[in-house]
Amino acid sequence: MTDEAEAPAAPAATPRHLAPDDVGLVTARDFVYPRAFTFKNGQQLDGLTLRYETYGTLNATRDNAVLICHALSGNHHCAGWNSPADKKPGWWNNLIGPGKAVDTRRFFVICANVPGGCSGTTGPSSTNPATGEPYGLRFPALTILDMVRAQKLLLEHLGVAELHTVIGGSMGGMTAMLFAIEFPRFTRRLLAMATTAREGAQAIAFNEVGRQAIMQDPGWNNGDYPRDGGPRVGLAIARMMAHITYLSDASMDRKFGRRTIQSRAKSPQLSAELPLAAESQPSVAAAADFNLQFEVESYLRHQGQTFINRFDANSYLYITRALDQFDLDHAYGSLEQAFAPVQAESLVVGFTSDWLFPPEQNRAIALALLRAGKRASYAELSTDLGHDSFLLESEELYALIRGFLERRQPDPSDFAI
Amino acid sequence: MENWKSGKTIQPFRVFSRFPDFPIKKIPVSKLSEKRTIDMEIIGEWVEPQTRVLDLGCGRGELLDYLVQTKQISALGVDLDFTRVTACVHRGVPAYQGDMIACMAAFPEKHFDRVICSRTVQELQNPAAVIAEALRVARRVTVGFVNHAFWKNRVDLLVRGRKARNAVYTTPWAESRPANPVSVADFDDFCSAQKIRITRRVLLGGDWKTPCRALPNLLAGYALYDLTR
Repeated sequence: MTDEAEAPAAPAATPRHLAPDDVGLVTARDFVYPRAFTFKNGQQLDGLTLRYETYGTLNATRDNAVLICHALSGNHHCAGWNSPADKKPGWWNNLIGPGKAVDTRRFFVICANVPGGCSGTTGPSSTNPATGEPYGLRFPALTILDMVRAQKLLLEHLGVAELHTVIGGSMGGMTAMLFAIEFPRFTRRLLAMATTAREGAQAIAFNEVGRQAIMQDPGWNNGDYPRDGGPRVGLAIARMMAHITYLSDASMDRKFGRRTIQSRAKSPQLSAELPLAAESQPSVAAAADFNLQFEVESYLRHQGQTFINRFDANSYLYITRALDQFDLDHAYGSLEQAFAPVQAESLVVGFTSDWLFPPEQNRAIALALLRAGKRASYAELSTDLGHDSFLLESEELYALIRGFLERRQPDPSDFAI
Repeated sequence: MENWKSGKTIQPFRVFSRFPDFPIKKIPVSKLSEKRTIDMEIIGEWVEPQTRVLDLGCGRGELLDYLVQTKQISALGVDLDFTRVTACVHRGVPAYQGDMIACMAAFPEKHFDRVICSRTVQELQNPAAVIAEALRVARRVTVGFVNHAFWKNRVDLLVRGRKARNAVYTTPWAESRPANPVSVADFDDFCSAQKIRITRRVLLGGDWKTPCRALPNLLAGYALYDLTR
């Protein structure tokens, strides 16, 4: 998911975090699993910390929980504000809040940073108690299934009896699907958006370019780098490249066109955003100009720069590899077999301009669920914003999600198609 | 004259022919929904309880919702429109947004007990392919359509020289979707040429209520067929 440009400061007198449909100030908490956590490949960690946030209240029957699963570069902070000084709210704040599509007056919303991440959950940048150093590449190989199992432990810890709905876009959609497969009686509804049942060659290829950018950076040093150092240029380039795959030709052209930065070049704020540019300035007079020319270049550099300040390069390697490994067809024999245990009612949403996980791949999920005899729907929203469309502020999308979460209860005598 | 859908007033036709305008009866919303109810009731009688039913062009899911309520079917609707699929999801009727042939192609033979194609055939790009595919994925196929050879439609064209307008097709030419009008005789010919067995057929008069017993191609306003291979 992209780091959107900062929202302009609201002129309103009321601070944004006090808006009536906002969850307001939120504090992340840590769940420390005290026992050994075994990864899919058999490797173990002595204990695991998951950082998470919750909004709303768990009801008496403990069945109004909605789990939000984040994407590759997301984290547990999906709604509200951690401090009044925050420039941006959580990444899905437009969807989650009192009276919003995921209504926190009705649902107990949970979002956790995945294992292998770098926002407070145990990951490669966490300190290995055995050595006192960051795990680095000694962190166990990671899969989406490990993310699912770890989050299930958190849900048990929170006393959730069953999930009303598990929601996720992109990698979050994979996590959500696996929840419905691995914990069928626990998962009542599945909402997967802009995702795939099988990471295809193109998506693996993009991940590989990102990993190579990181691993070819001398700062990476086989994953052994200090917390304030590491392959910053490599990680920024990985992010710049990946960011393009989250957008679309049309949306980029609308946002930047061929506008050049000459008109804005004197702005000190802009030049401060461009540390990469400083590194790549040719020291001698060149015949051609390879300095910043277009706004889109400056935007991508800014995205890269923002990312290196909040993300760990080894986490990026581990999580992209987990994405590459995701293949439900192969893991379960076929997609229908994968979905055979599912008891959740499902809704899959594709976006017309998503070329990372295109509509066909989302449609394939819904059709396989239907072939497996499950209750499943597929909706496709026309947007030109690319893969990140699932984060779109769209009343149509909100109506769909609200309709799925709050729809009339199915007749108990109903059986699956 | 009020358009039942938009509530807008439709100007009476100024026909350049020598014939006077045929008065267009005002058809209130209730009468149209009554017609739809009868359509639903007949299909509901044909649908066996607790079967798998696929509705092609399911719209907002009213028919499937009715069948879920009355026959406890497991339903799937197909529609092209996001808002209509949203309405289905909100009702709890599973729906697939997309092309109906592509959707059916994803299912094995006889996956469904019944495919319903109610008031959809006249808008299909390739009706023969759709019905063939429906007969592949389901044991029975129910087709319902407005008989465009109904005498009033003939009079419309013959006397007024205009596109037929009635309770179902309310809009003038310029505001209408592409249509491929079908008559009872067309459909009978099609079934016999394709060797499709008609197991049941219900023909209703212009009120969509009274059974039509004679000259169906002229006197039937609505036709419902149950097909099998």
